[in-house]
Amino acid sequence: MGIPWSQMFAVARHVMKQRIAGRTRYPLVLMLEPLFRCNLACTGCGKIQYPTALLKKHLSVEDCLMASDECGAPVVSIAGGEPLLHPQISEIVRGLIGRGRFIYLCTNALLLEDKLDQFEPDPHLSFSVHMDGPRTEHDASVCRAGVYDKAVAAIRAAVHRGFRVTTNTTLFDGANPDRMRRFFDDMMALGIEGMMISPGYSYRKAPDQDHFLRREQSHRLFSRMLAAPARRWRFNQSPLFLQFLMGKRDFDCTPWGNPTYNIFGWQRPCYLLQDGYARTFRELMEQTEWSRYGHASGNPRCRDCMVHCGFEPTAINTSFGSLRGMGETALALVKERR
Amino acid sequence: MIDALLDRAFDYRGYVTLSQRDGGRLVGFIYDRGPAHVELFDEAARRRIRLPVDQITGVEFTGEDSAARAQQIWERRKGALEPADTAAWGDWSEPGPRDRRGRRGPRARRPVLILVALPAELRSVAGALGARRGGGGARGRLGAVRAVALAVGVGGGAARAVAAERPGLVISCGFAGALDPALVPGDLVLASSVRDEAGESIAASEPVLGAARRVLDSGDPACLAEGELLCTTEVAATAEAKRALIRPGRLAVDLESGPAAHAARRAGVAWLALRVVLDPLDADLPAFALAARASYVVPALRHALRGPRAAAELAELARRARTASRSLSRALGRLAPVVGGLADAEPAS
Repeated sequence: MGIPWSQMFAVARHVMKQRIAGRTRYPLVLMLEPLFRCNLACTGCGKIQYPTALLKKHLSVEDCLMASDECGAPVVSIAGGEPLLHPQISEIVRGLIGRGRFIYLCTNALLLEDKLDQFEPDPHLSFSVHMDGPRTEHDASVCRAGVYDKAVAAIRAAVHRGFRVTTNTTLFDGANPDRMRRFFDDMMALGIEGMMISPGYSYRKAPDQDHFLRREQSHRLFSRMLAAPARRWRFNQSPLFLQFLMGKRDFDCTPWGNPTYNIFGWQRPCYLLQDGYARTFRELMEQTEWSRYGHASGNPRCRDCMVHCGFEPTAINTSFGSLRGMGETALALVKERR
Repeated sequence: MIDALLDRAFDYRGYVTLSQRDGGRLVGFIYDRGPAHVELFDEAARRRIRLPVDQITGVEFTGEDSAARAQQIWERRKGALEPADTAAWGDWSEPGPRDRRGRRGPRARRPVLILVALPAELRSVAGALGARRGGGGARGRLGAVRAVALAVGVGGGAARAVAAERPGLVISCGFAGALDPALVPGDLVLASSVRDEAGESIAASEPVLGAARRVLDSGDPACLAEGELLCTTEVAATAEAKRALIRPGRLAVDLESGPAAHAARRAGVAWLALRVVLDPLDADLPAFALAARASYVVPALRHALRGPRAAAELAELARRARTASRSLSRALGRLAPVVGGLADAEPAS
């Protein structure tokens, strides 16, 4: 597993504290979307289709820090839109680091090399670079030529300067497992800390509606892709979540695990669905009808979802929630390394 | 009926116009829908409005559906990709610098591009930018402005660099040979014009020169001279070769400033040539220094092994190079406060 011990310890401590306090619903990762504007228009993205006045809007530094304080999650994933388009992104990052948060700054890396000077390497900061596969697949996915090469150059520059770098790969129908395995080799050879993988969510607002993976397709794809993993591969994810993707384990969604905050407020119920907004984090947690979401609910919009923002929290809660969970996680880690 | 329309409006990625019971009409983007209310942003996305459902009598879909438009564009393109040279900022311009009231200017602030020929020169520049070198370049800040320093070698690398970086100002930096007997190692030469071997001369922009002159010509042990810079295609390595190039008003000779000035002029960008004297008029350069190399360590050692005279010659060259590097680094530091203004200056006609 590619997650540093300090981060794992912080997450484990957070889970224990919540359990001791008797809380059954608590956040693990704040999904912070400081803006919706993006410098790409990816085929599978349903996040950025808004009128221009809303795309020009962004959260202030104070808004972002307040959201993090309200939520209390030890990890903050800064998504969007493209966060590096935010004029004060470095101030947001510094403020969050100052609060002891572990940050994944999700970026397509088009501006990363130019913006590196605005950041300092820090164990609490990781650039999570969007890479949807080998050059041809990635450029097709982001609908622009040359993006793979620019992202690779930015990853090299960031690694060279001592930053933590991970990759974030979303997979769609048609992904070739063998080519993906070579892609994992290529990414690890760049010196990154680890990789994150997930099937794409079938956003109804995304331009391409024909290539989202159904649940069984996801199982087949991930089983072939992750069978006999190479020793050098490191995943910045729970090994139990990877087993879930391969169909070896069944989880239900923990939609409150990765609460989302953006210009509209606290998004109900999760990062992917937009059933309205709460004004405060407490209102989100207390007034959302959570039983309407997840596989068990029968909600058709949740039926094929296997995205990490809902199931990784389940995996983490399983890992740190009991001795048995810890044992299973340790076993999965050993199997992963064979 | 209204409930169904509001459900649709909540799912709609565009503006809707709501008719209200009191006869008013409200245009906005609905982002929240409760059992008894809707919440929307006004058209300018500045004001949040919460409206009771029982106050709404009609819903019109008056704005374009952004999601439908994205799907149509994607279908029209049929898999064709945007070209690789599409702006990295996409449809969004880079915000300009803030003014005293914290407002951002409308223009994107382009970087300063500092062109040097040799890795040895890049070291001095990278030091001034507070940046690490890597991949033949260094990226950092000069004052409040983003700066990119590239070692482009001798010849045509300047044009490629200007096209790739789209700078607001090009600075040609590095070592030069003195053609004025008064100039000593470490002295700075600010080019009022650059002339090539064919006799073509490009004048520097007066506002750029003036601003640079004001900050460089103060409080420094190194002398600042302003005049013509000759750009040749081969190193003038001996005192005799340099003397043959002397003309009235001509201060120094280098290999790089001409291509840099040409590239900047073609791109419509202001430029500045700031050179530092490495070898005075009466000094010869050792033969190994004539060719551009990534590293001079091995050839220099070979040269030193020729005998005591060669070793002394090498030590003297190393001393001059250190003096010149320090002087160049200091000069860039002094340019830092004004370089933001220079980056928006008009190039000379």
